[in-house]
Amino acid sequence: MPDQTIPAERFAILVERAGLKLTAAQFEELRQAYRFVQRMQKSVRRPRDRAAEPAHIFVHPRGGAA
Amino acid sequence: MDPSQLTIAEAAHAIADGSLSPVALTEAYLDRIAALDGELHSYVLVLRDEAPATARVLAASPPRGLLHGIPIGLKDIYKTRGVRSTAGSRRYLDHVPNEDAASWERLRAAGTVLLGKNETHEFAIGGPDFTLPFAPARNPWNTAHYPAGSSSGSAVAVAAGLCAAAMGSDTGGSIRGPAAYNGIVGLKPTYGRVSRRGVFPLSYTLDHCGPLTRTVEDCAIMMQVLAGYDPQDPASADTPVPDYRAALERRLDGLRLGIVRHFHEHDAVADFGADSAPSAGYLAAFDAACRTLESLGAQLVDLRLSPLIDYVDANRLIMIAEAYALHEKDFQERPQDFGHHMFARIGLGAFLSAADYVEAIRQRRELCLEFARALDGVDAVVAANATGPAPRIDALPTFGTVERASYTGPFNLTGSPALSVPIGFEDGLPLAFQIVGRPFDEAMVLRIGHAFEQATDFHNHRPAIAAPLPGR
Repeated sequence: MPDQTIPAERFAILVERAGLKLTAAQFEELRQAYRFVQRMQKSVRRPRDRAAEPAHIFVHPRGGAA
Repeated sequence: MDPSQLTIAEAAHAIADGSLSPVALTEAYLDRIAALDGELHSYVLVLRDEAPATARVLAASPPRGLLHGIPIGLKDIYKTRGVRSTAGSRRYLDHVPNEDAASWERLRAAGTVLLGKNETHEFAIGGPDFTLPFAPARNPWNTAHYPAGSSSGSAVAVAAGLCAAAMGSDTGGSIRGPAAYNGIVGLKPTYGRVSRRGVFPLSYTLDHCGPLTRTVEDCAIMMQVLAGYDPQDPASADTPVPDYRAALERRLDGLRLGIVRHFHEHDAVADFGADSAPSAGYLAAFDAACRTLESLGAQLVDLRLSPLIDYVDANRLIMIAEAYALHEKDFQERPQDFGHHMFARIGLGAFLSAADYVEAIRQRRELCLEFARALDGVDAVVAANATGPAPRIDALPTFGTVERASYTGPFNLTGSPALSVPIGFEDGLPLAFQIVGRPFDEAMVLRIGHAFEQATDFHNHRPAIAAPLPGR
């Protein structure tokens, strides 16, 4: 878990990019909670083979099946 | 006897032999709702006139099966034609759909009586939220405590005897958590087993629909009607449906069960901190429940999977990303319509990237394969559910949904069937574990759950508020 809360100036850029218009209370609450986003981002990144496929792949039935 | 005290199996028998009328059963539940739901808030809409009218028609009709004349509730994210369906949100406060959810179509055709719509966390994620128009449901074992969510109203109504069964939905544990905290049975079926059509989505690839009931046998009866292919649900699987009730047995001889202990004994605190520590009572109840399974003839083996956080964070990231995509326009244009918890929890999705999402679904595939391999050597897996009694409803952190350990989310990620069954009590509040099976093997988890239930009496303990009304 990141120790430091994201600085307000940096978080304001993320909010602007997302197109959100937050109240001061919403801004501060989401800024404090941003550490959970960072934890999840870190948690799903690990060394993987480039060929490792995502879960959403499709396997079509083989041709000629009855 | 007050007919609301009967299980579905018992009521079906009484209706079939003519000793109980669907009208009397429906009126008994409606009387209880009128007397008790002012305190419990398990319904956001009660069909006081429509339900008896349906029951009268059914009473005069040929029997349709075990659910003929059985009164149920639907979580208010299930669409009901001509009946308000709000998803627990201001945005849909006056929304009256012109179509029915597929599950409701099946249950209605089977002869159930809809008593009303059950309270839900906003869009099945934002609750308990005291800023919304609907009061959050209260735990019938102690109304100062949380009944879990998001299928809170559904579970409370079943536990308190305000319906015979109810439908919930489960994206990270929203059937199994409420089942645990309310001392009832809840099944999240395999992804694709029960149609999601007509149920307001939270997260397309993680949402599951399933029943909440008082007993495992009742759950099997509900599943017999709910399971099946729906060509209008893109994720529905065309897979044969077995006879679930016929699979119920009292012994587990010859079965091999994998016990996942490290999730709750180590990973929860190591990865999520001391607030996620299991209670002493829970650890003892889980061990005792495992010994009961052993006494029924099952062979238990310890199962080691990847750390809990690998499963939980992938599940949560996917859920938040998909939910935010679904609601993005409203977050940008009408944020004031959301309740506080929904806005805060799903608002985090605004800060996830496409790469985050892709990495999460790559991790999902790895973990699905790992879990499939683990199931190769066993008939089913046993894992913790909520690892302590329900907390007070006024002591819940807004970001508990991402801050603390979850034992249910891993099996949304894998899409596995997972059944929550009561295993004891602590401080007068219920405890539960999960039985998790191979894809589409609901019959096995129901078999194990039924055998465990018959060997214990936790399902016979009911909250005081579930007692018959005076004079009944």
